[in-house]
Amino acid sequence: MSIEDTSTPTSSSSRLQRYADWAVYAVFIVIILGAPMVIDDVFWLNRISKYLVFGMLGIAIALSWGYAGILNLGQGLFFGLGAYMTAMSLKLMSATSLQQGSDKPVPDFMLWNAEPGAVTDLCCINKGSFLWIPFQSQWFGMAMSIVIPLIVAFVLSSSIFRLRVSGVYVAIITLALVLLVRLLLIDAQPITNGFNGLTDLGWLTIGGFEFDPYMVETYYVVAISLTVVLLLGRWLVSTRAGLILQSTRDDPTRARYLGYDVAAYQIFFFTISAGIAGFAGLLYVVAAEFASPSFMDIGFSISMVVWAAVGGRNSLIGACIGAILINTVEATVSETEIFKEAWKLIIGGVFVLVVLYMPNGLAGIARDLLARFERRRKGAPAETAPKAAE
Amino acid sequence: MNEALTIDGLTVDFGGFKAVDGFTTVVQKGELRVILGPNGAGKTTLMDLVSGKTASTQGTVHLFGENITNRPEHIIARHGIGRKFQIPSVFRDLTVRQNLEVAASGEPGVFRNLRLHMAAEDRARVEDVIALTRLEPVLGTIAGELSHGQMQWLELGMLITQQAKVILLDEPTAGMTHAETFRTAEIINEMKGSHTILVVEHDMAFVRKIAERITVMHMGKLLAEGPMEKIETDPKVREAYLGSGGIH
Repeated sequence: MSIEDTSTPTSSSSRLQRYADWAVYAVFIVIILGAPMVIDDVFWLNRISKYLVFGMLGIAIALSWGYAGILNLGQGLFFGLGAYMTAMSLKLMSATSLQQGSDKPVPDFMLWNAEPGAVTDLCCINKGSFLWIPFQSQWFGMAMSIVIPLIVAFVLSSSIFRLRVSGVYVAIITLALVLLVRLLLIDAQPITNGFNGLTDLGWLTIGGFEFDPYMVETYYVVAISLTVVLLLGRWLVSTRAGLILQSTRDDPTRARYLGYDVAAYQIFFFTISAGIAGFAGLLYVVAAEFASPSFMDIGFSISMVVWAAVGGRNSLIGACIGAILINTVEATVSETEIFKEAWKLIIGGVFVLVVLYMPNGLAGIARDLLARFERRRKGAPAETAPKAAE
Repeated sequence: MNEALTIDGLTVDFGGFKAVDGFTTVVQKGELRVILGPNGAGKTTLMDLVSGKTASTQGTVHLFGENITNRPEHIIARHGIGRKFQIPSVFRDLTVRQNLEVAASGEPGVFRNLRLHMAAEDRARVEDVIALTRLEPVLGTIAGELSHGQMQWLELGMLITQQAKVILLDEPTAGMTHAETFRTAEIINEMKGSHTILVVEHDMAFVRKIAERITVMHMGKLLAEGPMEKIETDPKVREAYLGSGGIH
């Protein structure tokens, strides 16, 4: 980091900065909740709801990378797990699952992969198909979307952080793990439909109401969920625990000598971050109607990190807006053939530039501008503009 | 109970090399003890052993009668040992006030800290320490931007806020200007009595300003212990320091 980016006391929020911060939250929430009043194209609303899900992933990354200093290059693992858990339930609710010659639902692909003569029932049609039995309850699947990522993240982070593994090694471990799980997932074709993932899903149904992804109600489910996660995340980082977490990021040894069990803080926030990613997976399946091993591609997990970096990893809302912004631009740009090809290159270049010249992303720029405005208003001697390039 | 810190036969064996070898001493409550010794005498290693950074191979450390030998760092810290490092160690991306607030928490657990506000007594302690260390003008500054001296005072302030019963200071004046050293001596003298302090220091001028009892270490062992005048005239001490030009 250059000296300049610490020249504005970012965390010593003055009253003006705090107000500005809350104003950004308020405006953002009003925009996402009010969007359907302006946009009446349901296809666009559906698209935006997917981007809002990515915004939630941005929050998850900012929490672990920005606040805890843990670079998780395998966040796709938790997103994917969350997505599959809900997708399994919705798969069993789809019309085709009820048309496989059994009175109980059985996914179509299980028949294609069945042993000759196997009974068409979840209990024994394939090896392991019994695992699907509890997913006949939609609520079970949805609960698992959050519970399974929480458990996996807790077990994983407990072993990593108790052993005081840190920095790039955490990134390598998480990266390897997401790849491993992706392989297992594809390999377990008879119960996961392998490469093809889970498609042809039913709709989320609550109290008889079916959430068709191309309905404004479904958009609201996503937008309200994002609002809740954003505010909860904001509360979490504002607590004493959030402050102590940041101290463990800055200097774990000092934090230990102040009496804090550093690993406990890392485990807690890493696990929460995974839970948010799992919840995002759930919502994505509701909006996109599929779950696929591509959620666990390395490229996807790295994209999340890029979104958070561009938006500002030290800011939950920054990372969230970064994710939404990049995806919106990508979608617009991808309509043009040339840009579609070059997009990965462009985004890679943007990432390098952000890391080098604006490590606090868009949120950092906003804070700097505000701080400069504040100084000018106070009539402080005009300081030379911070030059990021130095 | 008057014995704050009791170190008994403490030894660490790094594959045959004993950096600290059967070291024994008792520090009384409220005492300010200076540990002197030539380079490589084992002073910093002793602090590592007491504070749990390094595991000892023999001997025990008791804090107010409780055995804290080889416990994890944060447990030892919760028992009441605070440590200041040679290189100032503060939370560089947090403001000065936030640094003190982190130190002030009476509760170590994650779930107990899931609340927005500090307890009133913790808050009061932060204010007291701000007054003592004179950090008021820089409270909103990111700690990484402080001057070297301010950073050291902040770290001292954090130990006081932490309510450490026994404070280990590893060369608190290293790299300081004269004025900063003087101010540091003032802070330490103000802490005297209410805190038990163990200081590792080379700067004799500084040691004279603060010292009561002195322990001299040599080759991992206790060489001499007593008041300043006695130590200065001790022939064993003179001999140990011969290579480095004696005490000056």
